[in-house]
Amino acid sequence: MTEANVLLDHGSGGLLSNQLIENVIVAGLGDAHAGSLEDSTLLQLSGTTVAMTTDSFIVEPIFFSGGDIGKLAVCGTVNDLAVSGATPRFLTLALVLEEGFPLEDLRRVIDSIREAATEAGVRVVAGDTKVLGKGDLDRIVINTTGLGVVEHAVAPPTLKRIAIGDRIVVSGPVGNHGVQILSRREGLGFEASVVSDCAPLGEMIRLARNAVGDAIHCMRDLTRGGLAGILNEIASNRGVSIDLDGQVIPVQHETRMACSMLGISPMYLANEGCVAFFVRPDACEQLLVALLDTKYGKGAVQIGTVVDRKEGAAPVVEFGAGGKRSVLGPLVGRVLPRLC
Amino acid sequence: MNRVVVLTSDLQYAAANKHEARRQAVGRFLPRLTRFLNSVRAKAVPVIHLQLVIPPGDRRSAALPDELRFQRGSAGVRMLEEVVEPSDIIIEKPKDSGFFQTNLDETLRLMEADTLILTGMQAQICIQTTAADAFFRGYNVIVPSDGVVSTLEESMQRALDWMADYCATVMTCDEIEAALEKPGFGFPRRSAND
Repeated sequence: MTEANVLLDHGSGGLLSNQLIENVIVAGLGDAHAGSLEDSTLLQLSGTTVAMTTDSFIVEPIFFSGGDIGKLAVCGTVNDLAVSGATPRFLTLALVLEEGFPLEDLRRVIDSIREAATEAGVRVVAGDTKVLGKGDLDRIVINTTGLGVVEHAVAPPTLKRIAIGDRIVVSGPVGNHGVQILSRREGLGFEASVVSDCAPLGEMIRLARNAVGDAIHCMRDLTRGGLAGILNEIASNRGVSIDLDGQVIPVQHETRMACSMLGISPMYLANEGCVAFFVRPDACEQLLVALLDTKYGKGAVQIGTVVDRKEGAAPVVEFGAGGKRSVLGPLVGRVLPRLC
Repeated sequence: MNRVVVLTSDLQYAAANKHEARRQAVGRFLPRLTRFLNSVRAKAVPVIHLQLVIPPGDRRSAALPDELRFQRGSAGVRMLEEVVEPSDIIIEKPKDSGFFQTNLDETLRLMEADTLILTGMQAQICIQTTAADAFFRGYNVIVPSDGVVSTLEESMQRALDWMADYCATVMTCDEIEAALEKPGFGFPRRSAND
């Protein structure tokens, strides 16, 4: 790292975020660090395998179509537990509030937290509240820490189990959350037509794992960095390449429209209710059947395959109409839309 | 026969004078647009101006001189005198699309408008977003290629191409004026399946 100060791009979920985590945080923690740098870390506690994760949530605007910062704070954390193969059980809830934040808004956020936690089957077991002076914070920051239990007898999904030939399935359209947030922030006209996919995915994942068991080698929820950013991270970590069929990657028409207008790609936009599954080829069809039968998996599609990385080859390649090949590079900083 | 309303976007001092390139681009397009607005008014077509008024406290505005601010009471927020007539309606908007947190939709419904002609600046973003928003709300959207402007010609062309691809019919001011002259005129209508 060459920067002397933290940049906004260090929070993008892209290459700079990874550099900050590896070079400053993990390196600085040294032996005090025991995490796996995946969505959750699996820990052995008196013969029980538990998964633990934590996440902080900031979003502007805090209320949007399809959710709000409260729902996001539950879904983001329980989904990180679920993609690690755990059943989400408990959450902590830390609120940092700006002086003057309307109590009515806080009640709305708490209502959303309750509803999302109920749907996700988790209970809030500890919390903290801090208030900063007016102007010292933008209204509200939420941190949730999640604890889940690994109950399946099958091997938990993890990056290390990804194998050449694995098929990649996404559970639904990509890019909607990112477009909803951008549109609501700037008034772009897509607020009603593109809704955030924010959802707790534990039940969908449980049903998928029940259907195909340990044939699911790895799962990732496609949050910051989007589909392309996260697949790049995975392919680089595993030293493999990923071939994507660009013609079948699900993108809602209005999302494509907005991205075309803004000069951005939906492949790099954050999702809050979409998972990529890496699955053994012979179980792919069965996984799709199971997903399509769930509330949040109705848009599931097989979009690609893990292949051997040839020398000099790109980690992620998209094949479009007529076999046209495009490299989907890693996300470096923030996704910057073209605005006036 | 269509019930047509003309919308203008951001025809304000701050937008028109953002920098020299913008001043020149606006200077080239404004005379034709002014003639077009006079022509449609003469045909009893209502004109609604969308005036960008950014709420107080906006951090991006803080560093700007008064003539380039879009905040209420600033020199920059004023409409360009040559485009406004007493019969026109002015609707304030806080963001890019003219429909976002405004009463534009309600106003148009009261007027029983079904076809909107979008003019003004900039073609990319403010015109584009209003076009998309109008299309999603079921309006027929017409954009005169010489009635909108961007600082950069390439930005304008890209915006016109995008609107023609997704949500609007792009015509010239002459073509629109000629269509409005015809008794029982009808503009081409885009559908979601086009």
